[in-house]
Amino acid sequence: MTDARVGVRAALAVGRVEPLPERSVTRELAGFARRNPMAVAAGLVGLLIVVMAITAPLIAPSDPLKTDFRRMANPPDARSFFGTDQVGRDTLSRVIYGARSSLIVAFASVLLGTTVGALWGVASGYLGGRFDLVSQRITEVLQSFPDLILAMAISMAIGTGMPAVIVAIAITRIPFGNRVIRSVALTIRELAYVEAARAAGGSALRVMTLHVLPQCVAPYLVLATAHLGVAIIIEAALGFLGVGIPPPTPTWGNMLADSLTSLVPHWWLVFFPGFAITVTVLAFNLFGDGIRDTLDPRLSPAFLRMMAGGRRG
Amino acid sequence: MRKYLLRRAAFGLSTLIGVSLIIFVVLRILPGDPLVAMFGLEGFAKLAPDDRARIMEDLGLSDPLPVQYARWMHDIATGSLGRSFFRGEKVSEVILHRGPLSAEIGLLAVLISWLVGLPVGIISAFRPNSLSDNVARSLSILFLAIPGFWLGMLIVLATLFWFNYKTPLVVVHLWQDPWANLQLIVGPAIVLGLGQGAYIARMARSCLLEVIREDYVRTARAKGLKEALVVMRHALPNALLPVITLSGILMGFVLGGSVAVEQAFGVPGLGRALVVAVIERDTIVVQNLVMLYAVIFVFINVAVDLSYAWLDPRIRYR
Repeated sequence: MTDARVGVRAALAVGRVEPLPERSVTRELAGFARRNPMAVAAGLVGLLIVVMAITAPLIAPSDPLKTDFRRMANPPDARSFFGTDQVGRDTLSRVIYGARSSLIVAFASVLLGTTVGALWGVASGYLGGRFDLVSQRITEVLQSFPDLILAMAISMAIGTGMPAVIVAIAITRIPFGNRVIRSVALTIRELAYVEAARAAGGSALRVMTLHVLPQCVAPYLVLATAHLGVAIIIEAALGFLGVGIPPPTPTWGNMLADSLTSLVPHWWLVFFPGFAITVTVLAFNLFGDGIRDTLDPRLSPAFLRMMAGGRRG
Repeated sequence: MRKYLLRRAAFGLSTLIGVSLIIFVVLRILPGDPLVAMFGLEGFAKLAPDDRARIMEDLGLSDPLPVQYARWMHDIATGSLGRSFFRGEKVSEVILHRGPLSAEIGLLAVLISWLVGLPVGIISAFRPNSLSDNVARSLSILFLAIPGFWLGMLIVLATLFWFNYKTPLVVVHLWQDPWANLQLIVGPAIVLGLGQGAYIARMARSCLLEVIREDYVRTARAKGLKEALVVMRHALPNALLPVITLSGILMGFVLGGSVAVEQAFGVPGLGRALVVAVIERDTIVVQNLVMLYAVIFVFINVAVDLSYAWLDPRIRYR
């Protein structure tokens, strides 16, 4: 890393930039797999779940919305492996389709929240001064809410439905992105090359976007993957509490809520959606741990866990 | 110390003012017409304009927003928090009736998290990468991924299936019937406590492993103390500080998580009241309950800061 930078600087000095020696992508991946077998396995499981969500219409055995009054609340059998719910819908198909809502909400909300938080963090870390002070106070205030409760209140205010849920969860992610990336920006601001860029007359906006922002990519990725699992749990909890994506669209959370409508819940209606949540969150968490170890060993697990927060549901 | 205390208290108070402003903006200004929320679009269309004005007047919603905000602050200061739109219940009564149950769940959950997490963390740190360490770490990773409300539903289902047991559904206070009260709170407390315990175990392990490398621990070993004594008497007290902070942060998850877990167990606590109010779009109740949760959370964090400063004198002088 340092060698490469010195090389670039030397090349710049003689007015000619040579391309960095190319590193084989396959070799990099093989190295990653050898160091983090667990993370690779988890990543594959995660990928499988994503593929399952995308190809849901192809692999689901039946329509997740089709009711069948001859087969109501059937336990798992040869025709429907995960049983059927109180109105005869196939639970397996609903779990497969549920992956769609969960993953879309998780990816979109983490992307939105972490990006907004990160950009804000870069600005407040780099600019400092009164802007930073006010930003930090707003962050403190946002972090003073237990995040499931904040998400509930926001989604109540802006309505139910997928966009509302995404925005609600995204807002709870903003403080984390802001704090972590701000601390990164604070150290980068002091580096010599940033000072050089300032001295060369670069405007604040230019220095931030061209010189500070690229250094924040690694921590940003670490942070985003660390939050995917949390976002999935919050989404499921919102659905479970009846303030998430409303039925009939199947989500893992609202399926669990549905199971409570019968006096004695059927075990297959409780077990399978929750199991899907657990496997997905586990896969994303383990994958995120591997990403963190690779991209940014400086961020200690304890620190990141603290920043990522944890089980909300 | 007193100066530090005052500074933290002032900080907490200013945070709470910010919190109240955000709640007010989110719940009063964003959602548009509260009558539409209450009656639905059709019901709203059927109301005569006079009725609309009268209902708004009754609810105190026709005043300018700053006046409404000032009135809310006044309500909080005097402890009369307004009434539910739908049930006519006083919010303060809801809190007094259901609050103790949720508070008991929270306290018991914290107790369980320490009783489970700390020993597991210590055992892990004693022999890093041993079998017991690996089992403990795998379990903590698993518990971080299981949604608490799902675990709760499984427990309810299992006790119902095997013991044909169902918890009581009404509010029973500790002073009325301790046994029934315990049955209500023990399930949610265990689920929430185990979830936090996983964090505490991880944190305790990594902090202990860090402290064990310090010189003074080597000195303790060199003078011939038993390993158990070295860890418990010399290493543990210093390793505990970050764990205490973590526990304060985790209270936020207990508060938030208890809402879903109470629903899973069917416990009629404060979380259930909040969920019902959110579904019914009962703005006054939601606004006050969310504020209450935030007040508790901020209060706990200030308390953690203070305990930290009390335990580690270096912080007071920063």
